[in-house]
Amino acid sequence: MQLIAKLIKINLIAKLTFNQALTQMGYRRPGQPREDKPPWWRVKFDLSKGLKGMKRHFTLLKEEFFAQFIGPMGKPIIEHMLEQNQVLWEFRGPHSLQEWTISCDREIGGKSEIYLKVGRNNETCLLYGTLCSDPPKDGETRYSGYCTMRAKQPLASFDRKRYHDWSSFNTLHLRIRGDGRPWMINVIAETYYTHQKDDMYSYFLYTRGGPYWQDVKIPFSKFFLAHRGRVQDDQHELWLDKINAIGFTLGDKADGPFQLEIDFIGVCKDYAHTEDFAYEKYKRNPEV
Amino acid sequence: MAPFVYSTLIISLGLGTTTTFASTHWYLAWMGIEINTLAIIPLMTQNHNPRAIEATTKYFFAQATASATLLFAAVSNAFLTGEWDILQINHPLTSTLTTLALAMKIGLAPLHSWMPEVMQGLNLLTGLILSTWQKLAPFCLIYQIQPDNPNVFITLGLLSVIVGGWGGFNQVQLRKILAYSSIAHLGWMILILPFSPPLTLLALFTYLMMTFSLFSSFMLVRTTHINSLSTSWAKIPTLTACVPLILLSLGGLPPLTGFLPKWLILQELTKQDLAPIATLAALSSLFSLYFYLRLSYTMTLTMPPNNPAGTLPWRLNPQHNTLPLALTATTTIFLLPITPTILALFTS
Repeated sequence: MQLIAKLIKINLIAKLTFNQALTQMGYRRPGQPREDKPPWWRVKFDLSKGLKGMKRHFTLLKEEFFAQFIGPMGKPIIEHMLEQNQVLWEFRGPHSLQEWTISCDREIGGKSEIYLKVGRNNETCLLYGTLCSDPPKDGETRYSGYCTMRAKQPLASFDRKRYHDWSSFNTLHLRIRGDGRPWMINVIAETYYTHQKDDMYSYFLYTRGGPYWQDVKIPFSKFFLAHRGRVQDDQHELWLDKINAIGFTLGDKADGPFQLEIDFIGVCKDYAHTEDFAYEKYKRNPEV
Repeated sequence: MAPFVYSTLIISLGLGTTTTFASTHWYLAWMGIEINTLAIIPLMTQNHNPRAIEATTKYFFAQATASATLLFAAVSNAFLTGEWDILQINHPLTSTLTTLALAMKIGLAPLHSWMPEVMQGLNLLTGLILSTWQKLAPFCLIYQIQPDNPNVFITLGLLSVIVGGWGGFNQVQLRKILAYSSIAHLGWMILILPFSPPLTLLALFTYLMMTFSLFSSFMLVRTTHINSLSTSWAKIPTLTACVPLILLSLGGLPPLTGFLPKWLILQELTKQDLAPIATLAALSSLFSLYFYLRLSYTMTLTMPPNNPAGTLPWRLNPQHNTLPLALTATTTIFLLPITPTILALFTS
């Protein structure tokens, strides 16, 4: 009897702790029932999937080990020294879309739509949809109307995080064709504290609506720090040695259809650009 | 940072290390180490960006853990043997615990993982203080521990040499390379400590000299990445010619100063019938030599591929005083011929 009482007590404590954790976890759509299931109950255990996963991860581990003998980041050092431009994402077929994820305010009950498909001749990707700023009628949400596309976090073997190292470069280079709408480019760098998890470095991307392609070069010194979309007072430059992802967001409050075609996203080193950071840091006692 | 605050922190750093040097009681030594840790924390967060704060946090966690372990070991030793004297740490358990705590303090493998990330988040000056000054106080304590069984030191030393070489193998960030270089050199020092403590001191001072000159060179050229080293010829051509010698001295090549400690350590290890360990250490240092050579190659032996006229960076008047660099670079390169004098200095 005592053992059963102990087990019930442990179960209750686990549930309470889990519910507390749930409230701290992030956004929960208003009106949605709270999920009482612990995360491990949602996992489907499958032996064949597990074995395939193990094979994939060990193959990746072996490649990582032998890549060390080639050079930094798997490239010979001479290539590392010579490169001044690097294409990171090039949309050449359906497989290239798997590295991206799209999202819009439909998740919070809004009415926007977003789709991603391969462009003509498998040469580009086309991000299109409809923006709608009507907020969801849940009594809590006041604003709505966003669509976004974001690169997935690169992963090493055993799902360890891998980072992009752009410290050899200083400019973001995109080849795009838009519809005249202003987009926001967001660069997400690796952070340490949980309160920094929504930090991102943003800059504007003004598209021309014409049929001609647009080469956009944005120095990384222009990116400003924002947290959950709010520009921060304490600004600092973007550190390029641990980048997680890049994203594009549309939230210009102009309801209607939109399109953005992307050829490639890359980084380059512009030796003529020597600016460290474009914004004042408001030091109270600046060195003279 | 306000000059008054800055000078207070620098004086505290000096005070902490001096307190540890002058102490015979474990409490006072521990207090000196804690003053050091707390004094460097604001220096690390001077540039208020997330990476610096992350580095500071990681440094604080590692150092606090090591300090707590050190204090626990000292208190346990007092409980078991009744002795608070630093030289009287005779119990094998407390001696090992103290060694491991101090190993974590200075970043010896396998307790080294905080070091590259912390160095990467700091500017070069703070990194220099971390690599040089912050090692002195823990080393002073390690030097005074006289273990009966040298196996712990041999294991720590050998692992550090291997990890320091392997870890820096494919780094392109200069601060991380310097962190792994530090780990490898510390490994050499710890390896010989049970057999010949004066050689440890010799290796330590040589390492401090060489690291100081390399850090100063990088500060002068204002570079933190291996690719930006390739434009240093346009900034300071003389330094571009000297830095490979400093790097090769760090790699332990004759006829440069860095060869001296390695040679003597290998000789002593061989005399102690530890030839396989000496061989392993010598072979592992080849990894370190590889990345030093890579830095020399990038900086001096190759020209950058871009148009030189369009790529010259702004050449402002150097703000730093170059006299310390001149002195340490000279000693880093030219001290090998006076080996007998140096040996007499350390072994007399």
